Amino acid sequence: MSESLYDVVIIGGGMSGLMAGIYLAGKGFKTAIISRGDPVCCLSTGCIDLLDAGVRPLEAIVDLPDGHPYRLVGKKGIDAALKVFRDIMAFCPIPYVGSARHNREILTPIGTFKTTCLVPRTMEASQGCRDEYLHVISFAGIRDFYPSYITSKLPNTGFSLYDAGVSSTLAIATRFEEAGFVDEFCTWLSSLEIPPGRVALPAVLGLVNPMAVMEEISGRIGRDVFEIPTLPPSIPGLRLFRTLKKSFQDRGGDVFWGKPISSVETRGNVVEAVTLAASGRPSRVQGRAFILATGSFVSGGLYAARDAVSETVFGLPVEVPGARKDWFLNDFFTHGHPIEGSGIEVDASFRPRRNELENLFVCGSILAGSEIMKHHCGHGLALATGLKAAISCERALP
Amino acid sequence: MTFEHCMRCTLCVENCPIYKVEPRFPGPKQSGPDAQRFRLDGEKSVDEWVKYCCQCRRCQVSCPYGVDVAEIILKAQLKYGSEHLSPATAHLFANAYHFNKLGSTLAPLANKAKAWPVTKGVLNLFGVSRELDLPEFRFVNMERGRRRKGKGRKVVFFHGCHLGFNRPDIGRKVRDLLVSMGCRVVIPTQTCCGLPALGNGDLDIAKRFAQKNAAVLTKYINRGFDVVYACTSCGLTLMQDYAGILDVPGGRKIAENTYNVYEYLLPQMHLETQGGMLGRLESKIAYHIPCHLRALGIGYPAAKIFEMIEGLTCHVLDDNCCGLAGTYGFKKRYQDASRRLGVIAAAPLRDLGADAVVSDCGACRMQLEHFSGLPALDPVEIIIEAITQKDFGRDVPAKGWKRLLNYVT
Repeated sequence: MSESLYDVVIIGGGMSGLMAGIYLAGKGFKTAIISRGDPVCCLSTGCIDLLDAGVRPLEAIVDLPDGHPYRLVGKKGIDAALKVFRDIMAFCPIPYVGSARHNREILTPIGTFKTTCLVPRTMEASQGCRDEYLHVISFAGIRDFYPSYITSKLPNTGFSLYDAGVSSTLAIATRFEEAGFVDEFCTWLSSLEIPPGRVALPAVLGLVNPMAVMEEISGRIGRDVFEIPTLPPSIPGLRLFRTLKKSFQDRGGDVFWGKPISSVETRGNVVEAVTLAASGRPSRVQGRAFILATGSFVSGGLYAARDAVSETVFGLPVEVPGARKDWFLNDFFTHGHPIEGSGIEVDASFRPRRNELENLFVCGSILAGSEIMKHHCGHGLALATGLKAAISCERALP
Repeated sequence: MTFEHCMRCTLCVENCPIYKVEPRFPGPKQSGPDAQRFRLDGEKSVDEWVKYCCQCRRCQVSCPYGVDVAEIILKAQLKYGSEHLSPATAHLFANAYHFNKLGSTLAPLANKAKAWPVTKGVLNLFGVSRELDLPEFRFVNMERGRRRKGKGRKVVFFHGCHLGFNRPDIGRKVRDLLVSMGCRVVIPTQTCCGLPALGNGDLDIAKRFAQKNAAVLTKYINRGFDVVYACTSCGLTLMQDYAGILDVPGGRKIAENTYNVYEYLLPQMHLETQGGMLGRLESKIAYHIPCHLRALGIGYPAAKIFEMIEGLTCHVLDDNCCGLAGTYGFKKRYQDASRRLGVIAAAPLRDLGADAVVSDCGACRMQLEHFSGLPALDPVEIIIEAITQKDFGRDVPAKGWKRLLNYVT
């Protein structure tokens, strides 16, 4: 058995776990993140959805049901978490714009508009793109991004196709980082005769430094340029994840990736260690405090059997809305199936409520009452509860 | 977990280095779980593109459901390899151990000969890329050096081919580091771990190598020895594949008793550092994490040791595959993909302004040195440097002419 000892062990390497990790590692705690695989934020648009409720999301927090985790964090806490996030990203090649006070609308690949809150700066010019002529650039052979969806839905738009020689979003993004390609692309783009207005592309402007690519294109053609998020594999989601992971590692945090937790050890009311099922020999990771950020059903934090829902690491008691017949609404596509509200109930310090464990904190979409699909609050909830749980954890550590 | 547990989230695709640069490869999801449902025993493989997978195993690490995408693809590669005539390079690289051994025996001559245009031309005809130079052979290889040293914890050092024949200087540093930390090191006669043969589609050769090693290692483990490796690809093969796809006798036991050298020494290093073992080292290094170290799931133990060295700034980089992938990048067929990945992986090293790039894997070091122009070091070289600065009066690696004694004794 290999052993290691940390101040804080975070289980789950998604938005929430990374946020908690960055905060705690930044405060000088010896922190480790254990993740069974990559998080779903890699598949997201890369935008931070706070709450789909009009222009001022913070004002609408009070209208949420009592059990929603946002009510526990409070307006101030949410605002602070998004500020902390923006500050983290400000020192990275992918700065974010916006604030928790205002929602914004960005263009989607099917020509609709999506309400979100913070966006990477490559999507900043998406706001208000309805007011001007919009030219969409797509790439020959690219799948899941059809500019005619946009042009058929929105007036005053047009599109052109560029042949990058490759057709997947990842391959095109890689081309944008190779010497000479941006230049080649800009030369082609300048040769087009486009009415004055903005230019939009699918989100493929490089994996590491999209701002530099975007600024070069924008400078060469003298127009506002922005990215439209695509279906997975999503480049902005991958950038967001990698940037946060790097921020965590740069603050001295350790990562254990790709192995599931096979057992946990508790003594009295204290969690002492978790054991990873690494190949061959298990490794035991001890911590003074633990943060559970394993996500909901899709991330594997919760598991639904025929008639019961369980929490997969500690076996914590899960809040479930009634019996199985009450879990779903009749219309599959309606948001707000009651089952989405299941999860772990926590107290004001984000410790599980129906459990005696003192040094365990819970954050992210595994929290009871989150209903992320209904409220469109995924990343915002992850950041806000991640920070809050980390602060509680900091206070609890001697 | 089987291919049926795949829910098609594409996280593996996002992590695949080859998919980014090789349009002929449909990505791990399609070549792994998606295609698996169409692969039948007794039916000839038609998926020629599985060969483009370089077995970095990033897909395996990224899967949140524990589907071993890389192994599904590896099995498809082996099936394809067993049904079709393999190219000359596959035979050459599957047997890299024998060529390495021959090259080492004829070292001065072999090193000259491999640089001749005519040799390069002939190799190129057989499908070997001209892009990278083949590694140098060393006559005083690990087998010819001192094979028993030190007192204390009983350790068998599995050095593998690269440290064995091409960089025995690093191999000896690992040996000496173990000795200085109170280990009785034995370096038994060993062959290739089997990974190059697996990667070149030849399960039989891989098994033969693995069985030979397993017999030796099991003998030592039964006598209370721990197995320690420094090359992370050999390590991954010992930990995952011996008990897994290679199914060698004693595989499970080997996996239970095998350690990465820095993982093995880390707890003691902590104690020794408090006693002032490591000196100051004013330097900034970029630590490129080999894909196979990621896949081991043991964290990055060498980085923890670097943290203990005063004055040393270490940037951990684990998002890129270097693209060489053992023997993959040496093949003409894959050289473009490999070169493009090398350029991508080298870019952040230069941007950081690092003095050197450090990596546990010999292939990563060759590739990154080539594309970044920075010196590429093994973690042990940094650690030994920090120790010798302090010269803490134990069996530290000898300096100057005394070092020669180490090589011949």
